[in-house]
Amino acid sequence: MTTTRVLLLVAAITTIGRVMLAAQTQPQPTPPAAAASSIERGRLGFVRVGCAQCHGREAQGSPTTGPRLGPNGLAYQAFARYVRAPRLQMPPYTEKILPDAELADLYAFVQSRPKSATPPPLQ
Amino acid sequence: MRRAAAVSAALAAPADALAQSPAPASATPPSDSSTTATEALTGGRAGSDFMVDTIKALGFEYICANPGSSFRGLHESVINYGANEKPELITCMHEESAIAMAHGYFKIEGKPLAVMAHGTVGLQHASMAIYNAWCDRVPVYLLLGNTLDATMRAPGVEWVHSVQDAAAMVRDYTKWDDTPMSLAHFGESAVRAYKIAMTPPYGPVVIVADSELQERPIEEHHGVLRVPQLTLAAPPQGDSSAVAEAAKLLVAAESPLLIADRLARTPAGLARLIELAELLQAAVISTQPNTLPPIAAGRMNFPNRHPLNQTLRGVAAIAAADVIVGLEIANIYGAMHIFRDQLERTSQPATKTGVKVITITAGDLNVKANYQDFQRYAETDLTIAADGEATLPALIEAVKRLMTPDRRRAFEARGAKLADASRAVLDRARTDAGYAWDASPISTARLAAELWQQIRTEDWSLVNGNLSGWPLRLWNFEKHHQYIGVSGGSGIGYGAPASIGAALANRKYGRLSVNIQNDGDLMYAPGVLWTAAHSKIPLLTVLHNNRSYHEETMHLQRMGNRRNRGVDRAHIGNEIDNPAIDYAKFAQSMGWYAEGPIADSKDLGRSLARAIAAVKRGQPALVDVVTQPR
Repeated sequence: MTTTRVLLLVAAITTIGRVMLAAQTQPQPTPPAAAASSIERGRLGFVRVGCAQCHGREAQGSPTTGPRLGPNGLAYQAFARYVRAPRLQMPPYTEKILPDAELADLYAFVQSRPKSATPPPLQ
Repeated sequence: MRRAAAVSAALAAPADALAQSPAPASATPPSDSSTTATEALTGGRAGSDFMVDTIKALGFEYICANPGSSFRGLHESVINYGANEKPELITCMHEESAIAMAHGYFKIEGKPLAVMAHGTVGLQHASMAIYNAWCDRVPVYLLLGNTLDATMRAPGVEWVHSVQDAAAMVRDYTKWDDTPMSLAHFGESAVRAYKIAMTPPYGPVVIVADSELQERPIEEHHGVLRVPQLTLAAPPQGDSSAVAEAAKLLVAAESPLLIADRLARTPAGLARLIELAELLQAAVISTQPNTLPPIAAGRMNFPNRHPLNQTLRGVAAIAAADVIVGLEIANIYGAMHIFRDQLERTSQPATKTGVKVITITAGDLNVKANYQDFQRYAETDLTIAADGEATLPALIEAVKRLMTPDRRRAFEARGAKLADASRAVLDRARTDAGYAWDASPISTARLAAELWQQIRTEDWSLVNGNLSGWPLRLWNFEKHHQYIGVSGGSGIGYGAPASIGAALANRKYGRLSVNIQNDGDLMYAPGVLWTAAHSKIPLLTVLHNNRSYHEETMHLQRMGNRRNRGVDRAHIGNEIDNPAIDYAKFAQSMGWYAEGPIADSKDLGRSLARAIAAVKRGQPALVDVVTQPR
């Protein structure tokens, strides 16, 4: 019964999206090569700590709830800063509920996501 | 079963009387005046026949009802005296479904659909759907059965099902009601109710059809009975000097923005907004669900691929605007502010300093106090209390009068920039849709894209659902019937019945009605699936099945993290899983063609194609698609 509240999230998404877009259009420091084990832990953590609920299980993003996070998303420092202290609607994640090591795994996971496939033409 | 009172009366009657005719629940008990050989047990025309004359004169195609003894007289008159034609009775399994069907039907047909219900328990069931219609400014025409005369009530249930003031319960969110005391009174009030419902701002109305009025022989009623003439009111137009001032501001503006919400009551509203926007080369935000600005509402006001449509970059368009015109917008404050839902809830302006704000809405003409659908107070520079669609022709003419060659050149340059920006966001949306393309569960973008491939050459009509905003990004919306907005009141349980009501209206035009159905919404009153099959209403329902009340999951995450407890248990109370509902079997059991669950995107296209083939044969069809959360 809270469609309106869903819509309130959208405002946040656009701002986050703008930040992400800006990040994508500037040269990004190459992320350290993540170990496969870190990516796998991140995949599981992405669902466990609820990221997937708004950003999708593949971090692909949703127009209504959360932007795409990877690949080629924010640099790690900006990513971590936003997770700890989101500017808009996203729930804040303290280190108590998301330790730094797990946060790094999440980052490894979202950076490892495949690029966009080509969807069918949109006549 | 709501006939307990009548059944108990019948059981008390003598066996021979029972054989002739069921004892009416409101009849005087034999102990008061013993039955004689001269007592008339049958009669000719009854009051409810005149009620049907009135209903027919108002032009209702259908009347929806879950049966109830308090309107048994009217029910009988509809199916026998009225020959069950115009209106045809549609059997519903819940009053909420009946009202929501009427809600969806209106938004396609532009005419109300009638509903019958008990004045007590039926209305209680119906009330949430009435609230949705009220918030969405949709006229629903509700006839309530009731027995006002206490001495005429059968003992027991009929007392429980009677009420002093039946319409009181929904008076906060209906536009008008009456309890007629005679058939002549009924005729006048029934016509008046229709007229009021259909005068913008539209809204639901209630007429209480007393059971004595329904069931007494028509000869007992005083006076000459005739159905009064219906003359619909012309919608209110904006004050001419205010419209001229609005035009002056728009023509002088460097970045005018038109935000349309429930503007296009008819296809003419869509055409008029295109004309105004193109004249000014102004940016347009035509709200659809889950877009910016955050307004849960909408009609098909403006083509989504029109170069001036800036809906997908709404925040930027609002930030750039120096004149904003809100056209039938329910939440202009929300459109102009960014809300932050953290421990302290805050709102910050999304507009630049000095922006001029104009609103044109008939909503200002019908505001009530209790329910807060009027939204936060917004400061404006010019408020025109009038119907937006009806006011647009005068505004267009006023703008034309102020146009100069210099302004026209400036407008053309502005339009070119807006077209580039619009094209860029649509291109980006297509790229975005390609992420997680092969994921399982299926991504909402993939589902929208696959569905579009199947329907794009049809005369389609999206009658419910938004699929996280992807259709707006990937489909091509051009016609008024291709999008009909949302519930209005955000009362869950709207989607399935409203889409079936809209599909009922679309049926005679041969359109392919498409419902993108949320799983949680379907389970409120799923008996409406049977109604669709029984009444042979063709409808493609694609289940956006994320197996949860997902919106609430996100709210629980917010609460858990805010309190440093984490989100691990946020699914409790929100998931619809363990067991997962087999929606295909469920729909099949009620006469639908159904497939699923589909979790592999490679199977999706073929499954949708088979379902559409079933719909084209006249059958409702459902495809259960297991999706990503959003």
